[in-house]
Amino acid sequence: MLKRLLGVVPVVFGVLLLTFLLVHLVPGDPVEVMLGESASSADRSQLRAELGLDRPIHVQFGAYLGRLAQGDFGHSIHTRAPVSQMLAERLPATMRLALLALAIAIAIGLPLGIIAALRANRWPDKLATFSSLTLSAMPHFWLGPLLMMVFALWLGWLPVSGMDSAGSIVLPALTLGFGLSAILTRMTRASLLEVLNEDFVRTARAKGLPERQVILGHALRAGLLPVVTIVGLQLGSLLAGTVITETVFGWDGIGRLLVESIEKRDYPVTQACVLVIALIYVLVNLFTDLLYTQLDPRVRYSR
Amino acid sequence: MRYFILLLICMLLAACGKPVSHEEIRMALAQAPINLDPRYASDAASERINHLIYRPLVDFDANSRPQPALAAWQMLSPTHYRFTLLPERALFHDGSTLDAGDVAATYNSLRALKDSPHTAEFANIRQVSALDENTVEFVLQADDDMFPSRLIIGILPAEKIAAGHDFSRQPVGNGPLRFVSWQRSVRLERVSDRQRFSLQEVRDPTVRVLKLLRGEVDLLQGDLPPELVKYLRRQPGIRLSEVEGSNYSYLGFNLEDTQLSKPEVRRAIAHAIDRKAILQEVLVGGSREAAAILPPGHWAGHRTLAPYEYDPALARALLQHAGIALPLKLVYKTSTDAQRVRLATVMQAQMREAGIQLEIRSLDWGTFFDDVKHGKFQLYGLTWVGIRTPEIYRLAFHSASVPPAGANRGRYEDATTDRLIEAADWQAVSERVHQMLPYVPLWYEGQFVAMRSDLSGYSLKPDGSWDGLATVNKRSKKEMKPQS
Repeated sequence: MLKRLLGVVPVVFGVLLLTFLLVHLVPGDPVEVMLGESASSADRSQLRAELGLDRPIHVQFGAYLGRLAQGDFGHSIHTRAPVSQMLAERLPATMRLALLALAIAIAIGLPLGIIAALRANRWPDKLATFSSLTLSAMPHFWLGPLLMMVFALWLGWLPVSGMDSAGSIVLPALTLGFGLSAILTRMTRASLLEVLNEDFVRTARAKGLPERQVILGHALRAGLLPVVTIVGLQLGSLLAGTVITETVFGWDGIGRLLVESIEKRDYPVTQACVLVIALIYVLVNLFTDLLYTQLDPRVRYSR
Repeated sequence: MRYFILLLICMLLAACGKPVSHEEIRMALAQAPINLDPRYASDAASERINHLIYRPLVDFDANSRPQPALAAWQMLSPTHYRFTLLPERALFHDGSTLDAGDVAATYNSLRALKDSPHTAEFANIRQVSALDENTVEFVLQADDDMFPSRLIIGILPAEKIAAGHDFSRQPVGNGPLRFVSWQRSVRLERVSDRQRFSLQEVRDPTVRVLKLLRGEVDLLQGDLPPELVKYLRRQPGIRLSEVEGSNYSYLGFNLEDTQLSKPEVRRAIAHAIDRKAILQEVLVGGSREAAAILPPGHWAGHRTLAPYEYDPALARALLQHAGIALPLKLVYKTSTDAQRVRLATVMQAQMREAGIQLEIRSLDWGTFFDDVKHGKFQLYGLTWVGIRTPEIYRLAFHSASVPPAGANRGRYEDATTDRLIEAADWQAVSERVHQMLPYVPLWYEGQFVAMRSDLSGYSLKPDGSWDGLATVNKRSKKEMKPQS
């Protein structure tokens, strides 16, 4: 387990280094963005020096690591606000949306997948397959406005977008949840079908256990293992921010903050967002691995 | 699992509901403001909001002539200006009075900033001093006949500047609207009648329209593709107003490119674009053809310059005369904005008729603008927004304004143009630029506002400002009920 934990360190360092290099190497100079086109070369050089952008890139990276070690993400170049404050404002919104979307996906995907596996090649399976394929084929930028038209404009049940009321989260969560539920349906079906043919399921049935207990107590537990991995990975990407959905629904999450910072060449914000997203990914995957060891005692990371 | 699903359904149902009715006026913005400190703000949304929160010394009339806003002025010499504050000025929103000391403090603090996009504009100022409560003097290093036109920065309270107040998030001015809060949306209040406003960013144009139709916002201005504007025009309960715009869209050439350095080639491209068709099919109402940066209604604008006519045969002939083997292959750079890409695609199709093969490269804004400033392009498309003074010609076309010293992005060098700019003969500058074509003038994009029918009194401006918020009114629910 310690080895698994230590494995996180080089991943995070690699992310830091890559992000730093990419952010500094893409075209676009924050000094020019800040000072506009009328500033003199002397003013540009002075500001570049003040921001430390005139130093060699490895020195800049060292200084950046030093500040990070003290928990200092720096300040936004454009708003001058502390980056940590910006992250603290955006991250909870993304987490709320991600968790509700995941809950919706599980609520739809798991039962549908189980039904599809138990009724394989019959109409419930075909219906589940059709609906999951349809949902997974719908891009968020299309599904989102479609849900807005139906639930906000025609039925008038929910707000179109924003974060002003409790209902604001429902449509973006449904948009994300529907797409994810399709993946879970397919995964659950495939995994359960495989398990249903295993010897231990046949043994359980031969022992005379009720079918419900065979499915829920034996087959499902083993069949859900790959599903757990998928859920973990998807939760990671949901927590990392879903840029399109956040943009369409005006949801002030971390994905939108990242895109906006890239557009404005706001280096400190971009670097902090990528770092936080990478950490979330790593931690969620770590948690998924740990859960795996609990669900399947055969899996162990160290002796 | 069943309880989990039940709980989820309950949560979703509990979240449902009808839109809450608001007496505040809610406006949807395509882009949120970035910084509400007028010394730093340079994006359109921040500048438009700041124009409502703060008052500058000088503003412009309908013909873009400078006129007193907070102060009248006297030119003592071309390097010496005296401004006298008008007696009927409003208090700052914190209750303090605005005097000459505040004006001097605002401009002195701006000149001292090292990271503001506006500081360079005032590098010519040698000294700003308050003579008394109502009089402030500016002494310049070099002659500047147009100096008053530059004094459009909102005035801040000196006391708060000295205290290091964060104007970027908590602005304090003396304009018609006072700042209330800025969480997800910017909340403002009109000083005269305490009418509240909420300005919220809604990036997606379709979503802005849906929110307007459902009554989640009361108005939106600009930044919609024409098909959505047409759609809104047909909707009951929505009123649409349009005016002619003054923001100038153009196609810029790299004059260092071997082919584009030839005047015939540039003229051929100008004749290869069917502006009339684009205005009719792809742009919003109120858009009109352009022949120069400053519109004909501007005090320095040229009233008789004719736009280049669409004539693909002439364009082809000009290219052949210039010794160009057809098809002429060119790369056009633009941003990722959907409307900009659409316009590029239309021009690509039109130019094909003239034997020009246009390759479109759509880049993210940072990369695109960086390429433009560094001359890494053959053709690019951009719009000059909110241009007020003919000084734009110096910034865009003088040979001394090649980036990073200015915005002569096409590296245009012409001694005649330089001489005319220095002589401030703006009519002749317009004619020379029109003849030499460092830019192909395209159009002034029209302005429109779409409002719910319970709003009235919003006056739309050609530059796309939001000054209409100072006068707009919303009928309350009571007023809307029929009298018994």
